[in-house]
Amino acid sequence: MTTLLEIVIRNGSLFDAFGVIGLGLVAYAAIRLARREHSWGGHMMAAGAIAVLIARLYLVLAPHFVNDNMLHAIGPIGISLTIGLPPLMLTLGLAGVVWGLWGHERWLKTERNR
Amino acid sequence: MSVGILPPLASIAAVRPVFLIVMGISLMVIAWRLASTSGRWTSRLLVAGALLLAFGYSILLPMYEGGMIRFFAPDKPLSLVSADTLAWHVVKVTVMNTGWLLFGLGVALHANLFGLSSPGSHPQTSPHPRPHDHLA
Repeated sequence: MTTLLEIVIRNGSLFDAFGVIGLGLVAYAAIRLARREHSWGGHMMAAGAIAVLIARLYLVLAPHFVNDNMLHAIGPIGISLTIGLPPLMLTLGLAGVVWGLWGHERWLKTERNR
Repeated sequence: MSVGILPPLASIAAVRPVFLIVMGISLMVIAWRLASTSGRWTSRLLVAGALLLAFGYSILLPMYEGGMIRFFAPDKPLSLVSADTLAWHVVKVTVMNTGWLLFGLGVALHANLFGLSSPGSHPQTSPHPRPHDHLA
């Protein structure tokens, strides 16, 4: 295995941190846009980015705290939720970000033409 | 009739890759349109992030969902993982995370999160005069 591949594989959490920081920036910037410019796209983008961020954080951190005792404690419904919710939040969150970005772009265009 | 290999149409398994492809391409197009009205670095970061995310969402993830690439199992010893799986995993990790980071930086600059004014977004109030403005 080449050194570059090894660096990327061994430092997976560093790259995950990049993604989490980026999503946090999207969410924070969207909230700023929504509050400052009252653009509805900002609200949508913020909601989507927060959903993706929560799901991403869970997927990154889950291997460190999910074990048999915890799965036994949360029961079958909890286990189903841990399996079903993260992909759902990733999917709906992505849709929210794209829809919000579209809304913000439309809003900017109408503001400029006004 | 064999429906065992391909997921039935309109099932979650079949719709999700299509949804990801549509979202990836939409993200790229909208970011491109937003970038055309933004400052130089804002548009560069937005478009770079959106291109990486579009590649990830519309090509890489549907390939994973379609079973063309096998998922990387981190608990398996690296010597037992095939080179293809490892290489695609590295591409996915790099593309998706760098894509979100660059896109996030682009949106943050667009929202003026760092307190810097982007010269391109407000051309009429640009703090840098053109070189021959003082001659006019």
